[in-house]
Amino acid sequence: MNKKLNYSYYPGCSLHASASEYDLSTRELFKTLNIGLTEVPDWFCCGATPAHNVDELLSLSLCAKNLELADKVEGDLAVACAACFSRLKFTQHTLEENMTKRKQVEKAIDAPLKLDGKVKHLLDILARDLGLERLAAAVKKPLSGLKVACYYGCLLTRPPDVPNLDCAEAPTIMEQVVEAAGAETVAWTHRLECCGANFTLSRPGVVIQLTNAILESAKDAGADCIMVGCPLCHGNLDIRQKEIEGVYKADYNLPVFYLTQLVGLSVGLGADKLGLDAMIVNPLPLLKEKGLL
Amino acid sequence: MSRIGVFICHCGENISRTVDVERVAAEIGRHPGVAFSTDYKYMCSDPGQTLLKKAIQEQRLTHVVVAACSPRMHEKTFRKAVEVAGLNPFLCEMANIREHCSWVHEDREEATVKAIDIVGMMVERVKKNRVLAAITVPVTKRSLVIGGGIAGIQAALDIADCGHEVILVEREPSIGGHMAQLSETFPTLDCSQCIMTPKMVDVANHPKIKLYTYSEIELVEGYIGNFQVTIKKKARSVDEDKCTGCGVCMTKCPQKKIPNRFDQNIGMRSAIYVPFPQAVPNTPVIDRDNCTWFKSGKCGVCQKVCGPGAVDFEQQDRLVVEAVGAIVVATGFDLYSINEKPKGSAIKGYGEFGHGKIPDVIDGMTFERLASASGPTGGKILRPSDGKEPKQIVFIQCVGSRAREKGISYCSKVCCMYTAKHTMLYHHKVHDGQAYVFFMDARTPGKSYDEFWRRSIEEEEAVYIRGMVSRLYQKGDKIVVMGSDIAVGVQVEIEADMVVLATAIQPQKGADTLAQKLGISYDKYNFYSEAHAKLRPVECATAGIYLAGACQGPKDIPETVSQASAAAAKVMTLFSKDKLEREPVVARVREAGCVGCFACKKVCAYGAVEEKEIRDRQGNLVKIVAYVNPGVCAGCGTCQATCPSKCVELDGYTDEQIVAMIEAL
Repeated sequence: MNKKLNYSYYPGCSLHASASEYDLSTRELFKTLNIGLTEVPDWFCCGATPAHNVDELLSLSLCAKNLELADKVEGDLAVACAACFSRLKFTQHTLEENMTKRKQVEKAIDAPLKLDGKVKHLLDILARDLGLERLAAAVKKPLSGLKVACYYGCLLTRPPDVPNLDCAEAPTIMEQVVEAAGAETVAWTHRLECCGANFTLSRPGVVIQLTNAILESAKDAGADCIMVGCPLCHGNLDIRQKEIEGVYKADYNLPVFYLTQLVGLSVGLGADKLGLDAMIVNPLPLLKEKGLL
Repeated sequence: MSRIGVFICHCGENISRTVDVERVAAEIGRHPGVAFSTDYKYMCSDPGQTLLKKAIQEQRLTHVVVAACSPRMHEKTFRKAVEVAGLNPFLCEMANIREHCSWVHEDREEATVKAIDIVGMMVERVKKNRVLAAITVPVTKRSLVIGGGIAGIQAALDIADCGHEVILVEREPSIGGHMAQLSETFPTLDCSQCIMTPKMVDVANHPKIKLYTYSEIELVEGYIGNFQVTIKKKARSVDEDKCTGCGVCMTKCPQKKIPNRFDQNIGMRSAIYVPFPQAVPNTPVIDRDNCTWFKSGKCGVCQKVCGPGAVDFEQQDRLVVEAVGAIVVATGFDLYSINEKPKGSAIKGYGEFGHGKIPDVIDGMTFERLASASGPTGGKILRPSDGKEPKQIVFIQCVGSRAREKGISYCSKVCCMYTAKHTMLYHHKVHDGQAYVFFMDARTPGKSYDEFWRRSIEEEEAVYIRGMVSRLYQKGDKIVVMGSDIAVGVQVEIEADMVVLATAIQPQKGADTLAQKLGISYDKYNFYSEAHAKLRPVECATAGIYLAGACQGPKDIPETVSQASAAAAKVMTLFSKDKLEREPVVARVREAGCVGCFACKKVCAYGAVEEKEIRDRQGNLVKIVAYVNPGVCAGCGTCQATCPSKCVELDGYTDEQIVAMIEAL
């Protein structure tokens, strides 16, 4: 008999705002899979992309304090957002190697640092801690016939020595997870290209160009939809999709799912528990066509 | 009663700047047993040595201590001088007051006191030195060369031309190595096969060369001048003596679709095959994994059509033992296969380049086979995927090499030049095509090398882009190359028809296993280590074993040939004498106390410890003790430190001497 898995949970700011459906579907999925998830009390922003560009010490200290808070909750730390995951991992990596910075950070957060707590992305928990076999066993409604383009973006696997989630340049963990849920995956070229990230506000032209290349590649490969693990990528691919179709005179119509939404669907969760109504590109026609709703 | 002479060297100012040499000489003069002490500006100079010799004779000295530099530097010099003056050379020792004292200290007073201590210790040690005689070992004047590429071929021919027998062992069915695979060679663009195959024929015809192809080294025993090498001759399934090389078996073999490794798997061969038409020996071999007879017991066509009856399905692997005096290791290189991360290796793959997945992303050696007149396309540059001629071709340098974050930090040395050559060959064959090269630096030191590289740009119209490539992906029948041009600071995308990767050079697979059999050292990449990077570049630290070619590090053909000839010259130096003199600083076993536990045998890195039977006069076995073969012992002292009953002692470093040195402090 396998012991029940328990995690502390760091949702991050996006999951309380623009990516609330990622938060909802994560909690519902984990409940269904009987995995314990306890939100870190009093957690706050990891600093995301801006902090480390402005002040490295600030960025490290924000994450270090969150890690310290997480340490008080039982279990490894589960993280959904790719950017939060990256920053927390980066902080551990940097402070393990650099004693000077570590001392500065300890002074800033006024607490001694323990860096041995494990930070895990949801993918890691599903594919390795729970395991693909147990995940597949929990599937009630296999996503048969659904062709999924798994999009990693920049941060889930890179830089090579930091997140250690999978091979940096040829990862397969997303494909493994969604295939365990019964879906088909497509081989496509832009799995690891940058979507333009938060330039979406300051240089939308750049983002439109980069995101278009990703959508085009997924469509060319025959995908029905895209699966992501990052709220910012999601924003660019989903929210900007209509605009991009207009600029490039293209017709993509690719719903962009969070990984927990697709896996949640396969374990029998309904549309209301997955926040499908929050998606801009409407997934319902596709899911109905495939007989998944 | 010993009369010890102590000579303190100033080493110009190297020692005297920090050490008060006159005071050292005066104080050591009062040390018990010291009959004479003096100091001099350069002890190693001719007047310095004369001073030493004169003092030995005039003062009737029994032992000598020279306090100067490291014994690695001048021990031989002073021992020779002592011998000329009539003393046994092993009664002379050096006290190192330069590297161990003056160079590493600043305070003159402290350094002087330390120098006196060091010299005092050596005086106590030399008192207990024994008279030793040089050890002589016989030399077997035959040589083993491992590897039949250009390095091994050159070394074998040079040694054999001097009249010494050579055993040449090659793992593949034919000699020739990688050079036989190349099309043209830089910087002169002469055809590789045209310059290589005559040398291969010379090897086959040389009366002094015994060739073992399709064979591997199984076991190496012995020591310099006296190695016993066991060679495994793998079953060829064809009798070499009967086969005439007519080739009928190959034309009749029904299995014809087996990828030929010699052609980088883009050409096909039969199950009974020679790797290429110019193979030496021109005797086919049966690839048992792919032969219908060996898989199902049916077929046997080759045996039926063979006129001389040379095909022998029953043939077994055979072990042959050869006695040799010297070994040249010339096992060469392999190209880094980048498509995936090798298991358990620190070297990471290049998943982003799709090598192995995108058919028209090939490595440099595959391009050589495409460009070679004897290659699978007859010398036409054609895409492996659809046989079309690529009109846009991209070359990427430094794939694997100089990429610390990917696990290989070294430069593979030949890629800049061969990529320049590839752009030329491409331009000569595809007139309307365009070649692009992504590069970090162009490294072209070598005679006529830079001119050659310039020519590829200025006359052959290759476009060089300084920057690296982040990703390759297939788009329709094109390969999109995403790179950067750091000179302009922009991102570049090229839609190419074919991409050629200049992948890193690595030692042959199994290089580490062979090194362990030979007892030679290798670095973390498995390249073999030379004894001294500058002054002994072709010798291994293990006596009697020499290195040639890319097994030691990436090298081009001219450099490989030079090193092979140098290794051959070293072998000939060894063979110039009938007996070999060795320094007698070796371990000796006190047999009376030895209990035969053989702890010493387990720790000996050189395999010098043997088992010796002690018998009484009636011939009854009394006990078995350890015996150190003085021909093999390297004098490292590990056995001495290990022996639980303190019965192994290294001459010059006995426990008694070490205790005496400590007591002198």
